[in-house]
Amino acid sequence: MTKPLATLCTAARIMVLVAVMVSVFAAGTQAASLQQAQKLQSDPRQMRFEPVEFNPPEPERLVLENGMVVYLLEDHELPLVTITATMRTGGWLDPVDKVGLAGIAGTTMRTGGTKRMTAAEVDVALEQLAAHITVGIGTESGSAMLDVLKKDLTRGLRIFADILRTPAFDPARVELAKLQVIEAIRRRQDFPQSIAGREFEKMMYGPTHPFAREDTVASVSRITRDDLAAFHARTVHPNGMILGVTGDFHRAAMLAELREVFGDWPKGEVLPIVLPPPQTVGADDGRAQKKILRFVRKGTSQTHLRAGHLSVKENDPDYPALALLNDILGGSSFRSRLFQDIRTKQGLAYSVRSALRVGMREPGVWLVRAETKLGSTQEVISRLVSNLERLREQPVTDAELDEAKEAFVNSFVFSFSSSSAIVSRLIGLEYDGLPKDFLQQLRDKVVKLTKEDLLAAARKHLYPERLRILAVGPPESLLRVLSGFGEVEEIKLEPEG
Amino acid sequence: MHGLRFFVLLSLVLNLSLNLNLDLARGSGLAERVIEHRLANGLTVLLVERHQSPVVSINFTFGVGGIDEHTGMTGVAHLYEHMAFKGTRTLGTKDYERERPLLEELDHINANIETHREQLRASSQDASGVDSPALQQLQQAFKDAQKRADEWVIGNEMAQLYQRHGAVGLNASTGKDVTRYTVSLPANRLPLWAVVEADRMANPVLREFYKERAVVMEERRLRTEDNPNGLLHEAFTAAAFQAHPYGFPTIGWASDILALTPSETDRFFRTYYGPGNAVVAIVGDIKPPEVIALIEATFGKIAGTTPPPPVVTVEPPQRGERRVEVEFDAEPSVLVGYHKPALGHPDDFVFDVIDSVLSEGVTSRLYHRLVREKRLATSVGTDPNSPGVRGSNLFTISAVPLAPHTTAELEAAIYIELDRLKTEPVTPVELEKVLNNLDAGLVRSLRSNGGLASQLAYFQTVAKDWRYLLKARDRIATVTPADIMRVAAQSFVKSNRTVATLVRSASARNTSPAAQPTSATPKAVTP
Repeated sequence: MTKPLATLCTAARIMVLVAVMVSVFAAGTQAASLQQAQKLQSDPRQMRFEPVEFNPPEPERLVLENGMVVYLLEDHELPLVTITATMRTGGWLDPVDKVGLAGIAGTTMRTGGTKRMTAAEVDVALEQLAAHITVGIGTESGSAMLDVLKKDLTRGLRIFADILRTPAFDPARVELAKLQVIEAIRRRQDFPQSIAGREFEKMMYGPTHPFAREDTVASVSRITRDDLAAFHARTVHPNGMILGVTGDFHRAAMLAELREVFGDWPKGEVLPIVLPPPQTVGADDGRAQKKILRFVRKGTSQTHLRAGHLSVKENDPDYPALALLNDILGGSSFRSRLFQDIRTKQGLAYSVRSALRVGMREPGVWLVRAETKLGSTQEVISRLVSNLERLREQPVTDAELDEAKEAFVNSFVFSFSSSSAIVSRLIGLEYDGLPKDFLQQLRDKVVKLTKEDLLAAARKHLYPERLRILAVGPPESLLRVLSGFGEVEEIKLEPEG
Repeated sequence: MHGLRFFVLLSLVLNLSLNLNLDLARGSGLAERVIEHRLANGLTVLLVERHQSPVVSINFTFGVGGIDEHTGMTGVAHLYEHMAFKGTRTLGTKDYERERPLLEELDHINANIETHREQLRASSQDASGVDSPALQQLQQAFKDAQKRADEWVIGNEMAQLYQRHGAVGLNASTGKDVTRYTVSLPANRLPLWAVVEADRMANPVLREFYKERAVVMEERRLRTEDNPNGLLHEAFTAAAFQAHPYGFPTIGWASDILALTPSETDRFFRTYYGPGNAVVAIVGDIKPPEVIALIEATFGKIAGTTPPPPVVTVEPPQRGERRVEVEFDAEPSVLVGYHKPALGHPDDFVFDVIDSVLSEGVTSRLYHRLVREKRLATSVGTDPNSPGVRGSNLFTISAVPLAPHTTAELEAAIYIELDRLKTEPVTPVELEKVLNNLDAGLVRSLRSNGGLASQLAYFQTVAKDWRYLLKARDRIATVTPADIMRVAAQSFVKSNRTVATLVRSASARNTSPAAQPTSATPKAVTP
């Protein structure tokens, strides 16, 4: 029923071809175009459109002598320049007794001044120029960004480079950053959705895994200014960094400016990202094949639910099929089964969806989630589980498969809708060691998938009988409801601070 | 970074009103690039060509929101916004003529159920907690009728159609002043949008009403009942406005939502969703003459309607400080607000400057003093236009204490900074920073099709002229230190102040919320 109309691809170019799907609607369809506005179909279901063909501009990639990778893409529409830096550092390096070190290092690189300027001078200079610099270090990578008016580029770039190369970690700013993190720790049980998200992550990867572990008042209190300076010196190097430069500049002048501020930065030893294997709750104590439920008590009006299990990495051959299954199950809002069933038909939730979160270094997570009033908790869990089971038991319908493919192909152009989107996608792929045409390959695989492919992938990779389920809510009656689904453990949250 | 969750909720108007720029906007040619067209039925169309990629963003804004509600029907604007996704006589149904009598039957049974409940309440028989046999019978009949009606429904067909044509960002939101419908599409799909939206403006069908009402109740629980910031804003706004509808939660009071009916919701639609009360802004890879022809051929067929009634209620002057507390199982925070004039008043621009001086960036007065110098707060922010701009509104300050400091200490420190505005002139360096950030902000706002469409449609709706974007910058540039001292002295006084604090009650941990929670969000976003 659904087949490509045309394929256009020129080698070694980023080629976006949107559309290619034949409409599955009734015969007698008629193409609509702007020129034919007067002859418009009155029934939008009958409308058909040509594929959108688009050759997005291709950024230039080059490597400086010190190993720094630079992507450049000029875009002269507005007098702005944006430079991003993606850094091979991250919270995976946090010592166990100082969890939170990488995150605070990112914050204080930005706030703590540089060798050339005090912390206050940096802030005043940037804000007077209406320039933005941000720095953040996450679990698997660090990122920084300069967003500056073209006229202030040289000045902004100097400060940006100094922040990356010679942050001063002003002691007062370090102290304040620690106090703010400790305050956030004190407040992290205030929001039921935040509790649910963090406790679910611990069920998936284990409480000590870098993806799930949490900083504590004690771990943050131990972090010193010297720890931060040493962390920066050890992990931030030009040869572990990818710059993305977009906006209103000219190549030659920009390269000269970049060489001026980064050229004499010597290479360092770039650390490989090493992560321990996940330790899903129950995996090593004979409960691997059973459902396990955990419960956190909180005086809420809804039960806040998360359920899921570990899944594949992004380069798994079954990833395209699983991505489409997720779209059909609950990844596509209105169109998805969970939305149609639990929200539209039953009126049991406002927010209900599924997600397939994947990376390149650890198994991903297949997740379903919803919030529902206490009295409908049992029904919502049952429906979440039965929708997962159905994916394993029956093939998806032709209509569902066609809709999912068409939506994927027709929205593909939005992955390339701005210069910064184009460049940041390529940087993300390079950082993760994926080919630069990964998205195009994914699209080509998606359009070839059959119902049988999806059913096979579901049978191989979905395990509704082994779900890990996390619920936040009041204990009265809820504990009894949950125990109907399997073994329930209560998580007692310790008051912090 | 110092993220404050509050401000995500508060912020639409704040960001918009500050993202103004004249020189740079002229530099980017915005003034010349916007094409304006008005249909005979009153629909206003704003178009900007941007050919970076073959996509288009559409922002369809209606001049309706919580400001148009009254007690007993609060939440109707937001519920209608949900219902607008349920389809038309063509979309979302297998056969509308067969479906219609079933929808009428449902409404009839529902009315009977309500009448029955009212009688039971009057005779206090409901104290038993058991429904009468007659009521049970009606409820069963309702379920049966719903089942039969459902057989004709094609669920979410309109959204499915958009999505399979590649739509992203399909969403809608309801605020105090405006209700907005957004979508981005591959550019050649614009005819699909025009046909669907013209149909939605002319022929909406409120199918699946009772189920969607239940969905909105879940939304209220999620955004308000279980969210300490949502609860605090609801209580704060309700205390600050005693007469004006800005005091109602946009999502509606729980009991009002449950009492809303299809006929009342339909009446609301007919009053406020006419083409004369709507603006559509389209930005992207378009040819304006073709788009205008397309819109004339579709929306042009819709008859004009009489303008909706004005909001007559004016909030009387506040005569004394109001203080409210909200108990929740969460750490404390505080919200402080002062009444001020609406958009367009000369002093409104002075508040925009005050807002920036107090809280824009880490060198702003409040962040510098409360967070960095005194270390009393972990975050602080201001909003010069809470909760809307069409009516006289509030300048608000919100702050989160850094333990062991208290909200009382924060309040005292905030008041010292507000008093300084009355006595010490703001420096030229501070004013220069305000303008530089204003100018850069507008340029940045032009980076995305969706962002630009949003600003154009917003100002065309609330200020009746998208050029307000450009004109306001001129007005802000003329604000003097003396203006700031005068306005601060007038407004930042105790008798004009409302303060709401979030406190942890002794019994909060591990207990259920009260049976009748009082709450709502300042801005309900859906679907």
